Amino acid sequence: MAQIPNLDNAPINLASLREQSQRELITILKNIRGKKCLVIDPNLSGSLSLIVQTAVLKEHGVELRHLSAEPLETECTKVVYLVRGQLDLMKHISLHIHDNASKGLQRECFLYFVPRRSVSCEQILKEEKVHDSLTIGEYPLYMVLMDEDVISFELECAYKECLVDSDTSSLWHIAKAIHKLESSFGLIPNVRAKGKASLRVADILERVQTEEPVNVSDVLPEISTLILLDREVDMVTPMCSQLTYEGLLDEVLHVNNGSVELDASIMGVQQEGRKVKVPLNSSDKLFKEIRDLNFEVVVQVLRQKATSMKQDYADITTTTQTVSELKDFVKKLNSLPEMTRHINLAQHLSTFTSKPSFLGRLDMEHTIVESESYDICFEYIEEMIHKQEPLISVLRLLVLLSVTNSGLPKKHYDYLRRELLHSYGFEHMATLNNLEKAGLFRKQEMRSNWLTVKRALHLVVEDTDTANPNDIAYVFSGYAPLSIRLIQQAIRSGWRPIEEILKLLPGPHSESKRGGLSRGSSFELLSGVSNNVDKAAVGRRSIVLVVFIGGVTFAEISALRFLSSQELAAYDIVVATTKVVNGQALLDPFVEKLT
Amino acid sequence: MNVTISQNFTNNGVQLRIEDREDEVRRAFKGSIIKLTLVGRYRISISRLFTRSIGFSLSSMAAAVSVAAEWQLLYNRYYRKPEIYSMKWKHIDLGRNKVACASYGGPIAVIRDDSKIVQLYAESALRKLRIFNSAGVEIAETVWRNPGGRLVAMSWTEDQTLICIVQDGTIYRYNIHAELIEPSLSLGKECFLQSVVECVFWGSGVVCMNEGFQFFCVPDFKSLGANGDGVVKLADPVLEDAPLCMAVIEPKYTMSGNVELLLAVGDYVLLVDEDGVQQVGAGVGPLQKMVVSKDGKYLACFTHDGRLLVITSDFSNIIFEYSCESALPPEQLAWCGLDSVLLYWDDVLLMVGPFGEPVRYFYDDPIVLISECDGVRILSNTTMEFLQRVPDSTVSIFKIGSTTPAALLYDALDHFDRRSAKADENLRMIKASLPEAIEACVDAAGYEFDISRQRTLLRAASYGQAFCSNVPRDRFQEMCKTLRVLNAVRSPEIGIPLSIQQYKELTATVLISRLINAHHHLLALRLSDYLGLNQELVIMHWACTKITASLAMPDADLLTILLDKLKLCKGIDYARVAEHADKSGRRKLAAALVEHEPCSSKQVPLLLSIGEEEAALTKATESGDTDLVYFVLFHIWQKKPSLEFFGMIQAKPLARDLFISYSRCYNHEFLKDFFLSAGELQEVAFLLWRESWDYGKNPMASKGTPLHGPRIKLIEKARDLFAETKEQIFESKAAEEHAKLLRMQHELEVSTKQAIFVDSSISDTIRTCIVLGNHRAAMKVKTEFKVSEKRWYWLKVFALATIRDWDALEKFSKEKRPPIGYKPFVEACIDAGEKGEALKYIPKLADPRERAEAYARIGMAKEAADAASQAKDSELLGRLKLSFSQNAAATSIFDTIRERLGVS
Repeated sequence: MAQIPNLDNAPINLASLREQSQRELITILKNIRGKKCLVIDPNLSGSLSLIVQTAVLKEHGVELRHLSAEPLETECTKVVYLVRGQLDLMKHISLHIHDNASKGLQRECFLYFVPRRSVSCEQILKEEKVHDSLTIGEYPLYMVLMDEDVISFELECAYKECLVDSDTSSLWHIAKAIHKLESSFGLIPNVRAKGKASLRVADILERVQTEEPVNVSDVLPEISTLILLDREVDMVTPMCSQLTYEGLLDEVLHVNNGSVELDASIMGVQQEGRKVKVPLNSSDKLFKEIRDLNFEVVVQVLRQKATSMKQDYADITTTTQTVSELKDFVKKLNSLPEMTRHINLAQHLSTFTSKPSFLGRLDMEHTIVESESYDICFEYIEEMIHKQEPLISVLRLLVLLSVTNSGLPKKHYDYLRRELLHSYGFEHMATLNNLEKAGLFRKQEMRSNWLTVKRALHLVVEDTDTANPNDIAYVFSGYAPLSIRLIQQAIRSGWRPIEEILKLLPGPHSESKRGGLSRGSSFELLSGVSNNVDKAAVGRRSIVLVVFIGGVTFAEISALRFLSSQELAAYDIVVATTKVVNGQALLDPFVEKLT
Repeated sequence: MNVTISQNFTNNGVQLRIEDREDEVRRAFKGSIIKLTLVGRYRISISRLFTRSIGFSLSSMAAAVSVAAEWQLLYNRYYRKPEIYSMKWKHIDLGRNKVACASYGGPIAVIRDDSKIVQLYAESALRKLRIFNSAGVEIAETVWRNPGGRLVAMSWTEDQTLICIVQDGTIYRYNIHAELIEPSLSLGKECFLQSVVECVFWGSGVVCMNEGFQFFCVPDFKSLGANGDGVVKLADPVLEDAPLCMAVIEPKYTMSGNVELLLAVGDYVLLVDEDGVQQVGAGVGPLQKMVVSKDGKYLACFTHDGRLLVITSDFSNIIFEYSCESALPPEQLAWCGLDSVLLYWDDVLLMVGPFGEPVRYFYDDPIVLISECDGVRILSNTTMEFLQRVPDSTVSIFKIGSTTPAALLYDALDHFDRRSAKADENLRMIKASLPEAIEACVDAAGYEFDISRQRTLLRAASYGQAFCSNVPRDRFQEMCKTLRVLNAVRSPEIGIPLSIQQYKELTATVLISRLINAHHHLLALRLSDYLGLNQELVIMHWACTKITASLAMPDADLLTILLDKLKLCKGIDYARVAEHADKSGRRKLAAALVEHEPCSSKQVPLLLSIGEEEAALTKATESGDTDLVYFVLFHIWQKKPSLEFFGMIQAKPLARDLFISYSRCYNHEFLKDFFLSAGELQEVAFLLWRESWDYGKNPMASKGTPLHGPRIKLIEKARDLFAETKEQIFESKAAEEHAKLLRMQHELEVSTKQAIFVDSSISDTIRTCIVLGNHRAAMKVKTEFKVSEKRWYWLKVFALATIRDWDALEKFSKEKRPPIGYKPFVEACIDAGEKGEALKYIPKLADPRERAEAYARIGMAKEAADAASQAKDSELLGRLKLSFSQNAAATSIFDTIRERLGVS
């Protein structure tokens, strides 16, 4: 199975977008004749692997390298750098070019920025006096298609950059990417945004629309509603451990650009120490079926499937079969490799989920989310620090506690900060500073309204039946993610009915109609989606684009898929995000790496 | 007037042929006599039909005859020469002037010919260059004062620039408004030393010959420099005498893509280009005059013995030859379309086609022939005529006696207008071929210059359409549209007499840009609107022209006028208008205009260029495009002194933050200055503290070397700065501790001779000390940093477990009652896999739940179950049972206990 996901079943024609990206990349490579060394920003390698196969690159005479500060070793006389516009990478490139000059190497260097040229980066190149020895171009890759309903802008640091450095470059990027989608699929008539960054994106999107208008008249909009949501609005969800199959795989094995890498022995291949890459996307039919289920249920489903297969096998050996029955059986056998793959993975996961420490942690997360017994939670975290458990997992709980309590009492705050510095080192003064700036771990200044929000939006659902769920709460075995509750509302009836609640959450909210397509009075149309469905041809489902600014977890994506699969839902959801993350990936950029 | 009709037509499967000799129908009509004849064989069988058709043809001839009467027949083709304009100018005698006429109905430049001796009437001795439109309406005039000798040649380029070449090789360029375009260009030194004597122009280039019979080519005036750059010297044909005549084949028609020059020398022709000279067509000449056809394929030439030759331009084939009465070369030789060649002598214009007798026209006054793609315009002192082959559709309708469906339809309209029932009869007759008849009428309308005739033809088409459902309606509409455009530009005030074919070749966009160029902005705007073209170009040009022309108008008034029009077009490029205003020296106006530009990426650079840094920064920030903000940032950074720069960005949060991000990565020192100037001491402190880590990274500085000192100093400096603000007490204390820790670690490294302490945390330092068995040092660290008993216990227990010193661990557990109970001891032992050791501490756990879990972890189901039952926690029981699910015996134990607890 290919790692590049199959997009044939996508609700909108995403395949054409990917083909365009492919073409653009190949054109760049073709225009540089002969053999060349392609030096890529390590963070881009995942994105590229979702666009073209390495074999295709090789066909175009490419020798692939990762960009680092080390001098470049290659026989090629042509070097093509493909990097994102990040300042620190420019230093590496400058080093390379100075190195070429000092060694007297005649190399022709090309620098392609993704997705566009950057003034600040070029400034560094100028200061380093290497700007003139580079041919500079751009590769307009604004998004990568992770799956048939997931788009990633590949901005893993967007959240931290926005909140800590106030560098909003990513917001422009997001708006531009949405605008690009609009130029293919028409102007999106309804826009709902919550959070400061979301509103800014909506604003930039409007500006881009006036600067380079998408023709409103000739394309019927394929996407009816755009929902923009800041991660800042809901930091609770990503801090909790995901319990869906795909989410759990991510928590334990770190899904990276649609695949996980793990020891071959886990997958039943007897080769010591070798790693294997397992792709995880909708092209794998079994995975498509079980990825969004609660892990508990996955085990049962796999068991059932195995049993039924065993039964079939038994039937085959005992009774006489017609040819067509045999054919059916053989067909089933074809799914055997997928079965084995997921049984292996599930088994590997259960070794983690059955650990008391894992269960204890889940217990603690629930206690915090339910906002009960603050003291127990505080002591639990204190003990984690004393035991010097991994910093990020401590921080996850700490952030969860701080966010639900809108900060910690000053005494506790100072105490825990000191304990953290003592246990993990003084370099984390910067980490703590970052977290404070972002409001993730801070001093309590006002009463928390988490309880109100939790109750009003019905975030904690008792008696969740994970096997036959009737609510999104199944993804966290009883906690319905705040972000998805908001989206559920936004799709169903707009922001109006929950305005009071929205005010309790960080950032402003907005709701607008665009493109002058508004028929009827604007406020009656707030239930935009269902209305549009009535108007659209029967059987055509409307499409909602949900954009998470700052990242989204697999569990949340699963919850959204659950929503659109409900019988009454007449819409498909396409998720776009700065990056698919989990709590660890989200907090990682905050952790200072000084040593 | 006698007219003979010859026509084939088919009706009801019977072929009718009308010819002379057979039968005659005479009829007097407006003083003309029309002779109609019928083929003998079918005379009787078709006589009924014929009488009917005669009926129509005769009545329709009222119009038809007058139209066809103006035609001349050249072999089997008709030509016509309608007058388009009677010239509005006065007292212009083409004979005493040099005249340059632009093709595609372009302007006419006139200047007194200084190579002729002419009588001056009441006029100044200074010459005037006058520019007229094709109808003779003056557009502009200017006095010719240019130095450089005689004006050798003058011609219009494709973009309607008038090129005037004088003897010394200087090229003066004028726009259509007779304004000299600076700078004047030059053909270079060789033409300066030896005067230019002859020039041959094409599209946008020229080939010149100087007195030394050397040839210079300007392939494109646009790429020509003032000192002769861009002039290409052609290969030297080494001539002793001037060539008899010259012609060029345009670069677009040559194989090489470079211009090819034809020189008639002796009885042959030399083909000259950049690379060489080649003799072609030996024996065709001597040639007195040559001209290349519009498509570059044919050459018309006049020989010394009075023959007109038409040859393929590669001299491989003579197409035809015609002997003229005179051996004197014609004054002008021109192609009329691709069908015939015009020769003009003093008072005769001769049109020669490949077959048949030539047509003769007589002119008393001098004329100028202007070749167009589909004919020739003939300019005389008083009129502008257009000589053109009559198009097929027009012939089919108006040819005398024509019985084509189109002619019948045209006739039917006439009947209809006169309320005659014959109209219906006609229609019935052509029912089947109505679409083609309609098409012919529409097509013919397009070729007419006369508006009333256009209308009649279109009405005929429209009348036919009423009876025919399957004709495409848009063809008709399209034609109406085109004709409206053509009629509008043909009006004498505008004076662009384009034929429909020329219009199609020129394209609407070029026409509009020509109108703009001639300052007919309103018409251009209306045409753009009418044709659905982008009006932006027109409005932009208007705005720039307006700015140039309104030097005296105050900024505010001009701005109102400009904005009023600019807003007509959505998405107009305000930035470019603003740029023009700036170049015209109106910076304030530019600033006001750029304010209206919606596209930030255009607006911002312009604001910078007009010195509006603040505004540029604000706009860039608003746009959300951080790249644009950086652009402004670096611009200001370079231009302004640091303090002013700091002040500017301090007020703009996004700019400030981006500056910080950039400097953090690249320019630390400057950033420090910035924070100091802004009084943000804590930020400076953070910077210093960060720098201290850079010292740490230096391999020379770490691990117990004296370089350690500066690092600690930096941290202490940071500490002091943190202490300046109340909010940073925590950071200040942390920095204090950090410095202290480093000192201590440094000492430890010296005393243990192991470089493993620096940069580890306090907890790690304690653990390392214990692992190394240095309990005193560990204790010292503990007291120095006031490590809590809780943490101390965890650390020490784990450290002892690491070195598996179980005795020491037990001793430690008995030192005093552990402040956090025995949990750390249990966990450490279980993690190390020492069940036996763990069992020492599990019973001491206070909480039965913890006990249960601990037993469960080391697989002691019974004990676990007992503990759980003590805790009376059914949920815990359930969980524990699950973890023992592999073990049947254990499961049953849990079940019994659960039953005992009364849990189902």
